[in-house]
Amino acid sequence: MPIDVSVVRKIAALARLRIDPAEEERYARELDGILGFVEQLQALDVAGIEPTSQVTEGARPALRADEVCPFGARDEALEGAPERDGDYFKVPQVV
Amino acid sequence: MSAPLVLESAESLARAVTQGERSAADVTRAFLAQADRTAPKLGTYLHRLAESALRDAEAIDRRRAKGDPLGPLAGVPVAIKDNICVRGVPTTCGSKILEGYRPPYDAHVVERLRAADAVIVGKTNCDEFAMGSSTENSAYQVTHNPWNLDRVPGGSSGGSAATVAACEAPLSLGSDTGGSVRQPAAFCGVYGLKPTYGAVSRYGLVAFASSLDQIGPFARSARDTALIQGVICGRDARDTTSRADARPISLDALERDLAGFRLGVPRAILDEAGEGLAPSIRAAFESAISAYERAGAKIVDVSLPHSRYAIATYYLIAPAEASSNLARYDGVRYGVRRSDGDLRGMYEATRGAGFGREVKRRILLGTYALSAGYYDAYYLRAQKVRTLIRKDFLDALAVSDALLLPITPTPAFKLVEKTDDPLAMYLSDIFSIPASLAGVPALSFPASFDASGLPIGLQVVGRPFDEETILRVARAYEREHDAASRVPAIALAEAGDAR
Repeated sequence: MPIDVSVVRKIAALARLRIDPAEEERYARELDGILGFVEQLQALDVAGIEPTSQVTEGARPALRADEVCPFGARDEALEGAPERDGDYFKVPQVV
Repeated sequence: MSAPLVLESAESLARAVTQGERSAADVTRAFLAQADRTAPKLGTYLHRLAESALRDAEAIDRRRAKGDPLGPLAGVPVAIKDNICVRGVPTTCGSKILEGYRPPYDAHVVERLRAADAVIVGKTNCDEFAMGSSTENSAYQVTHNPWNLDRVPGGSSGGSAATVAACEAPLSLGSDTGGSVRQPAAFCGVYGLKPTYGAVSRYGLVAFASSLDQIGPFARSARDTALIQGVICGRDARDTTSRADARPISLDALERDLAGFRLGVPRAILDEAGEGLAPSIRAAFESAISAYERAGAKIVDVSLPHSRYAIATYYLIAPAEASSNLARYDGVRYGVRRSDGDLRGMYEATRGAGFGREVKRRILLGTYALSAGYYDAYYLRAQKVRTLIRKDFLDALAVSDALLLPITPTPAFKLVEKTDDPLAMYLSDIFSIPASLAGVPALSFPASFDASGLPIGLQVVGRPFDEETILRVARAYEREHDAASRVPAIALAEAGDAR
């Protein structure tokens, strides 16, 4: 499917990403070019091939014990917030 | 006359500090002075840490005076890519969206470096969220190649590569998702290692594409690369993919010769680059093969037939994972916020204003590849092709001990040359991406120079967790060639002044 401006608007909304309307055309053109390039994968027969989501050398990702470990720098973490109310991150009203 | 201090290896500096021949403070001061002169011209740093570096160095000297044992990087300055967290120090990933962010913790690798008595000297410039091949996607500044200021240093870890090339620091860390350590290492004439996936904990590395991201070091010799890799590798419970299989590398083992060594050469991959492959790169590659034959290695023909699909595979998998990882930049917990009515308006305005063009392009691409109706055709298919690419590498490494490949199709290109053509920029990753998808260790080492004096790097790829062997292959070349010992005029002239 060719990528046009309406597709760019739709995926930008999914990604919660505001795109300057003056740039929508350019993104559409660039994405269309990249997706045209990756089309080459369709030519490959991948029937019966397992997908690789993570290269872990056959080992399961190691799990650690589910124990509470105090982080110890709560104030430093909260200081990074654009808006804070006591020990909370503050956001615009949701409901 | 002795060589300027900043040209010395990390290994010899650490030894001198440990034995009390030099103070850590003097070593740190020398590198800080070098960076005072060259960093403004090169644009290597987003944030320098002169004060705390000197304080850390003096603390190391006091501990030595008390008779405390010192770590393997005693008093050695190390620069850190700006997508790796250093507690209390601005960490922006080259992005406006993280302007002013100061992480409340050290990355695992930074903890390891401190425990080894290294001195952290600053945060280096990089492409925004490590997305790019030239460091031109940084929202803050351009970084210049120390060998030619009109050229890019490569990317995304361009600042970390350039700072080591210019002798502003003997060592640095970068991150490599599709070549972001190896490619800038080649462009700047230094060593750059992408360790095996799982060898180094990513705790405190800002996530880009989690199935590919790996932290790796830059250095000016094979031995120094081994030294710092030995410090940063190993199991850390805070990164579930990190493994205990990675062990410190024996420096003595690097000196073993290559008699009987089987070096795999996948020649067909050169043709994939077509006319994009510079004659100087091909010549350097062929000349290295001859050098290895002379050194006693047996050249084995191997093939990586699915690597021709690597760029297409990568540019589906990496943006898909990035679109998910970068969802956390929402203006709530860190960085900047742009208000616009309700919560959703705030998200959209913050992300629209905070991210640059390349990051937006990849978020859009990744969101599309993961969206309903396209997941199977794009992301899932790419993951299956990835299985084939990885199998090719393991097959080739079953009949050889390591592989030799180019790392870049050309030497460093000019600033602004490729900024308007994202696909052309992506295609320059043709030799670096396959090993990333396969998860195997890969090292870029300085091999020679082209007629205009730009460095040319080559790549050695090894078996999982066998970093030692690929460093040994590079070390064998280093012993016979002087490419690694050459430093750019900007570093020499300045170092000469400092003497």
